[in-house]
Amino acid sequence: MTIGQDVLRADRPTGRRDGGPDSGRSSRGPRGPRGSRGSRGGSGARRRAGLTPAALLVPSAVVLIVVVGYPLVTLLVMSFQEFGRAQAFGAPAPFVGFDNYVRVLTDSTFWTVLIRSLAFCAVNVAATMTLGTLLALLMQRLGRFLRLLVSVGLLLAWAMPALTAVIVWGWMFDTQFGVINHLLTVLTGTDFANHSWLIDPLSFFLVATVIITWQSVPFVAFTVYAGLTQVPDEVLEAAQLDGAGPVARFRLIVFPYLKSIFLVVTVLQVIWDLRVFTQIFALQGIGGIREQTSTIGVYIYQTSLAGGEYGTGGAIAVLLVILMLAISLYYVRATLKEDES
Amino acid sequence: MKKLAFAAMGVAAALTLAGCSGGAASSGGTGGGGGGDDAEIRVWLNGTDTPDEARDYLKTTFEDEHPGSTLTIEEQSWTGIVDKLTTSLSGSDSPDVVEVGNTQSSAFTSAGAFLDLSDEYEELGGDDLLPGFVEAGTYDGTFYAAPYYSGARLVFYKKDLYAAAGLSVPTTLDEYVANGVALAAANPGVSGIYFPGQDWYNALPFIWENGGEIATEEDGKWVGGFSSPESQAGLEQVQTVMTTASLAPKDGNETDPQVPYCAGTVAQLSAPSWVRWSILAPADADAPGCPDQEANLGVFALPGKDGGAAQVFAGGSNVAVAAKSANPDLAVDALRIMLSDEYQTILGKAGLVPAKVSLASTIGTDEAATAITEAAKNAKLTPASPRWADVEAAGILQDFFVKVAQGGDVAALAEELDARIEEILNS
Amino acid sequence: MTTTAAPLAPLAPPPDRGGRRPSSPARRRRRAVDVLLGAIAVLVFVCSVFPVYWMINTSLMPNNETRTLVPNFVPSTFTWRNYETVLSGAGRADFLPALANSATVTLLTVGVCLIFAFLAALAVTRFRFRGRRAFVLTILVVQMIPGEAMIISTYRVLDGWQLLNTIAGLTLVYVATVLPFTIWTLRGFVNGVPIELEEAAMIDGCSKSGAFWRVTFPLLAPGLVATGVFGFIQAWNEFLLALVVMSRPESMTLPVWLRTFQQATTTTNWAAIMAGSTLMAIPVIVFFLIVQGRMTSGLVSGAVKG
Repeated sequence: MTIGQDVLRADRPTGRRDGGPDSGRSSRGPRGPRGSRGSRGGSGARRRAGLTPAALLVPSAVVLIVVVGYPLVTLLVMSFQEFGRAQAFGAPAPFVGFDNYVRVLTDSTFWTVLIRSLAFCAVNVAATMTLGTLLALLMQRLGRFLRLLVSVGLLLAWAMPALTAVIVWGWMFDTQFGVINHLLTVLTGTDFANHSWLIDPLSFFLVATVIITWQSVPFVAFTVYAGLTQVPDEVLEAAQLDGAGPVARFRLIVFPYLKSIFLVVTVLQVIWDLRVFTQIFALQGIGGIREQTSTIGVYIYQTSLAGGEYGTGGAIAVLLVILMLAISLYYVRATLKEDES
Repeated sequence: MKKLAFAAMGVAAALTLAGCSGGAASSGGTGGGGGGDDAEIRVWLNGTDTPDEARDYLKTTFEDEHPGSTLTIEEQSWTGIVDKLTTSLSGSDSPDVVEVGNTQSSAFTSAGAFLDLSDEYEELGGDDLLPGFVEAGTYDGTFYAAPYYSGARLVFYKKDLYAAAGLSVPTTLDEYVANGVALAAANPGVSGIYFPGQDWYNALPFIWENGGEIATEEDGKWVGGFSSPESQAGLEQVQTVMTTASLAPKDGNETDPQVPYCAGTVAQLSAPSWVRWSILAPADADAPGCPDQEANLGVFALPGKDGGAAQVFAGGSNVAVAAKSANPDLAVDALRIMLSDEYQTILGKAGLVPAKVSLASTIGTDEAATAITEAAKNAKLTPASPRWADVEAAGILQDFFVKVAQGGDVAALAEELDARIEEILNS
Repeated sequence: MTTTAAPLAPLAPPPDRGGRRPSSPARRRRRAVDVLLGAIAVLVFVCSVFPVYWMINTSLMPNNETRTLVPNFVPSTFTWRNYETVLSGAGRADFLPALANSATVTLLTVGVCLIFAFLAALAVTRFRFRGRRAFVLTILVVQMIPGEAMIISTYRVLDGWQLLNTIAGLTLVYVATVLPFTIWTLRGFVNGVPIELEEAAMIDGCSKSGAFWRVTFPLLAPGLVATGVFGFIQAWNEFLLALVVMSRPESMTLPVWLRTFQQATTTTNWAAIMAGSTLMAIPVIVFFLIVQGRMTSGLVSGAVKG
């Protein structure tokens, strides 16, 4: 193992072994310009702020303030109000302090849904990241033709609109006429005819995981694969000459190079999978028991839009954002620290 | 706000493009109580229930009566209709006349989304209007939403299977269940009564006929009725049917019952009256039926516990004028046309139960029509609470009956369900 | 620049272990591994493509052949009828106007969003100013807000500015939805282009903006493509906002159209729904195929520098 570390130390650009978010930056070290470090060191190298940055930011800031900021403030205010359908039609909304929050936090349904969402998110992120990485490694080993084949397949899966994907998968998993039941019956010899995939919550989430993983693995696979191509061959060769096996090579060389890729992709996957709405909502329309299968995104929808309790829905949304911030705290801090430079 | 709005308009202008449809200035008729000669009235009808003939009649009649004005029918899908109505009715680009499911209407009448129609009540039909639907459209003594039409549920059955098993058309609910169980036993692979787990509408008559209720109001508080002994008796029957007489998917919903029916795996099924046309659709149609079964297709109204027609769930719609309609007078005129005898007769001929009791005979006099009329007489509604729509939206009834279909403990499940219903209705 | 290093170029095959002379069993083992990997690759291809195939397959058979106890793996009766049904809208929901709406909104969203995000990314990477960190943090937090909770408020904002049922209104909302992710990612790309390159160009006589447009901008192209694709997918697929904001039939977008179409018949016409789904997926797939080479290379540099 020490061999690998030596290789690492020898070949990587100086002073970046501490990991952290900028360790990935070094991945372009061997080939990219080396001087970037100097340029980032002093703020003098950056242009002095005049009116220019403000002018550059105006379009984005205006859109965000107007279309996100204002509704967001409304949402925050709403979460402290009794705000139902009558209020949506203009009735006065009385302030109720933390009532909505108390109601949400003392509601066992909320906690069940939250824990279910977290578990679902964890499973999906783990599955997506593992499969995606394995596929990237596979693509690296394949010949030109097979790699093209895999790329095209992944690309097609990636490009399918989410709503369409759920409709198609739902049709494939159909209880009475689904192709999956037919294939399983033929392949395993067990009778899967009329097997309902959505009625059991675990099985429901299995189907949901299949759909979501199917759609999000390509993103991870392509990103990691592209990252792999940036790991300098000489380093890998050197490690191999030193006798490092494939696992050691991945752990000691490839992974450190790809660490920031993994970090960014994982954070994005966590945000997306925790908020998941379309897939679950559409699947619930096909079958299954809503109460046992709702995730937090669907729960917010049910509370605020379908149930007409916008105040409570707002409180749940606020709590969800706080939770996501907590989960990605490490990433946020690292990013800000780096940005400080 | 004004300044922000100004800035935003600038951004919007920067994005401006060709092809922005109609846009916000929804109608030429400028406020002031409407009546402008060049007004546009938008009518939202949900799904495909309203036949094209009725749509044409509405448009032509309205435009004849109001030269210069136009009436546009915009078809909405039932999915997400509550979300869409909540936003659209509260905004400036509100439609003028909207159809809303009868069980959903209280969510809007209680929120002030509809125009007060109390003054029009007599002219629209008065006491001739379907009473349950008037109740659904009334909140706090004010009449907001008129009945539009009611659906009726019928039992469809295969005459040959009945003959082979030596059965006759049931006259009581218990006989109906017994027939179903017998048919299932005599024909392996066939549902004696096709009853998918999510189909809660069809489960309600069992509760009502046994003397149970969904929920009752006691001293201003709602109390769930599923765990009452009467309801329990009904639910036991439902479970018997679902587990021993039905091969339908336990978590399936009630759509497309003609598919298993035509595939020959269903002996009886209870469904809205229009399913008859789905069953009899041409075999090579995009939605194929089995017209060769026409002679074999029997129809009856679900029988009650003690004979007669059972109290069945009356699905259907109300129509209302949006409180924010830019031309309320014209909108009310459009609504009057929709409740006219001529218009309602068209609905009746299409197999829907008209909004007026006196027009019931327009459905016809054949076997199916008699059954529809009979079923409609005894139709019953869900609890008249403004929060009932939220119970439906939460999907807890579907969840409950799916668990019943799976063979769950009815008593324990019912208690859970009652607690949820009380929680929602009393919040 | 590494960003343009062709990511699809194969890595040199790893040399044999320790320089030992490959023995025959080792070579055989290697071949076995290659065959195994090839088999896995084919399996991955089949799994990824099968749903897409199944969608197209179903869309090409008459609806009465979709519900058979033994599924048809190829249409036994080939027909375009479902596509005709879809394109004629079954008399209810018109496909072509919805396609036009979706295409306009999506392309505008992508275009506007890229310009705005590009400018913002420049500001936060090339300049230092007060509130920069706050801005960056805000961009991240905004991505976490569940959109379902904000629909009512967003609707009211649009209503206040008479933007309901307008392409501009929906575009504005979509730009706001996609913008944070785009800025976030582009920021990484711009960071990845060393400022020295520009400075060198300026020494060679370029003006400040000339240096930027000639040197930095071309290097950002893959990043713009990669982030553009995300915007494209988001705007193309969004359902809930489109449902409430575009309430008039003529302003419907494709996802809403698909749902309406699904309901336009009392009985489910699976074949036609699959035809509709195929039609909705085609533009995205075409767009992907066009930009894919640039996109994959773009993604990685964005992520690496992010």
